[in-house]
Amino acid sequence: MRRAALALVATVVGLVLLLGFKTHSATSTASPPAAVSAPTGSGSSGSGSSRSGSTSSPSGTGSGQSGGTAGQSGTAAGIKVTGSSVGTQYGPVQVQVTVANKKITAVTVLRYPTSTGRDQQINSYAIPVLKSETLSAQNANIDMVSGATYTSLGYIKSLQSALDQAGL
Amino acid sequence: MATWTDQRVRPAPRAVVPPPSPRPQPARSQPRTVLGLIALGALAVVALWWLDTPSVSGFGDWLTNAGRITGLLAGYAVVILLALMARIPAMERGIGTDRLARWHSMGGRYTVSLVVAHALLITWGYAVTAHTNVASQTATLLTSYPDVLMATVAGGLFVLVGAVSARAARARLRYETWYHLHFYTYLAVALAFSHQFAVGADFMTNLPARLLWSALYAGVAALLVWHRFVTPVRQALRHRLRVAAVHREAPGVVSVHITGRHLDELAAEPGQFFRWRFLTRDLWWSSNPYSLSAPASARLLRITVKDLGDHSAALARLAPGTRVFAEGPYGAFTAARRSRPKVLLLGGGVGITPMRALFETLPAGPGDLTLVYRASRQADVVLRRELDAIAARRGAQLHYLLGSRAKLGYDPLDARRLRALVPDLAAHDVYLCGPDAMTEAAERSLRAAGVPRSRIHAESFQL
Repeated sequence: MRRAALALVATVVGLVLLLGFKTHSATSTASPPAAVSAPTGSGSSGSGSSRSGSTSSPSGTGSGQSGGTAGQSGTAAGIKVTGSSVGTQYGPVQVQVTVANKKITAVTVLRYPTSTGRDQQINSYAIPVLKSETLSAQNANIDMVSGATYTSLGYIKSLQSALDQAGL
Repeated sequence: MATWTDQRVRPAPRAVVPPPSPRPQPARSQPRTVLGLIALGALAVVALWWLDTPSVSGFGDWLTNAGRITGLLAGYAVVILLALMARIPAMERGIGTDRLARWHSMGGRYTVSLVVAHALLITWGYAVTAHTNVASQTATLLTSYPDVLMATVAGGLFVLVGAVSARAARARLRYETWYHLHFYTYLAVALAFSHQFAVGADFMTNLPARLLWSALYAGVAALLVWHRFVTPVRQALRHRLRVAAVHREAPGVVSVHITGRHLDELAAEPGQFFRWRFLTRDLWWSSNPYSLSAPASARLLRITVKDLGDHSAALARLAPGTRVFAEGPYGAFTAARRSRPKVLLLGGGVGITPMRALFETLPAGPGDLTLVYRASRQADVVLRRELDAIAARRGAQLHYLLGSRAKLGYDPLDARRLRALVPDLAAHDVYLCGPDAMTEAAERSLRAAGVPRSRIHAESFQL
């Protein structure tokens, strides 16, 4: 019985340590201090993999695939700027922002993972949260949605690329 | 069928042993090396999760990732457990069948716990991140995720096998029942395999990981098929073992002489055992381990069996010419473990059989080799004449410690008496084999007498 208790404790401690290390890296990439993102408009490359600064070939955490068109199209209500498509473990994410008077007035997520029931479940919750955070923050320094790590990372990258193109 | 009275009762002939031919030592794995490799593999598996996971945030993510780690480790542990039981010769000779079985059973309990933890953590984690309750999340997992239903059945089978393998259950089950139930693990592994790739986050989009994982499983499967199925058939065809004679050694004790072709190719070392299957109508379906009771020669293998149950009693009635299948040789209870000039062989009950073989061949000068034979009664002593002859010929010490502890009022194997019996005990290598109660007590005495654990070589027959 002693060996069983030892194995149990060691496993739990091991799991907590592993998960704890990864949680630490999450908080450092999700909310970088304001000094890192210089207000010069062209995105600066911060720590880790969450910033790329350029509109082409962002390398995702799994299979990175940068397809999709990134461009601008204007209407009277504002310019629609489409960010690059960012590949994630579960599928690509692509964000389009509507910019008017140097403010983000609307966000549309053109593509996000929906191939499995789980993706649909998670993203039906996560996408609205990400969109509303974008509108209140008016930049790409938003928190990731817990439980939707890959989607959040892909969203943030794609959003950043759209903002870079828009000059924000 | 020859009956008991048909056998002419005559003293058992002394086994004639030609000098051993010099032959290269067979491969032997070191226990520490194997454990180290297993640990490295586990680290690599955790590293796979580590590299695949950018970050973890929130309670649901914690649960899900804990579920992923336990799932990965369980998938790895399962294949390691199978490898331990694949009867790979280098591991059997180097680590020993009994130790491999102990590792397998300890690891098996841990693995079943990992499987259960994985299922619970994933279900709970998914429920939290999707903001549903656990019940509906379970239903979703079982019905709409590919291969998860099969994996859940597999998990149930693992739990069943674990439950019937617990000591309390095994005491109530016949060995054959437990043995056949245990085979369901193969089915469980097959059912659970596909869900790893279909829904496992670390495999879904990672082709190199899938290739490596598949190679690991395929490799162990190949080892299993080769060593547990193909090799015994090859050996049976090559060696064509048959019962040559059955000799009565003492009331209730028989020696079975088995002959065949090219027996030296088996490279059976004294102290090792085979799993024997005698092809008679009553005995063909069971395979039982018996140690060689004399060094193997090019034409003869001998086992000495005491009447302890249906199977051993039936051996006395074997007719010469009966075909035999023998798997092996297995066991690490050999001269290879020895590290000092002086050796003590301490055997009791059925454990005297491998001792008898070692007593004859273990390299030792006159005065350096001692055999202590522990038995409850004079009538329980077997192969006495042979042991006496070997002791005389080799200048070895031979002590018979007779009488049960209750009758004697003391334990002849306590530390003080052992030290008195064997001068310089702490400088000896000790080989220990007998009923579990005896070997446990003897091991305690030996440690108390100053023999370091690394020089106590014990073999248990609790397979």
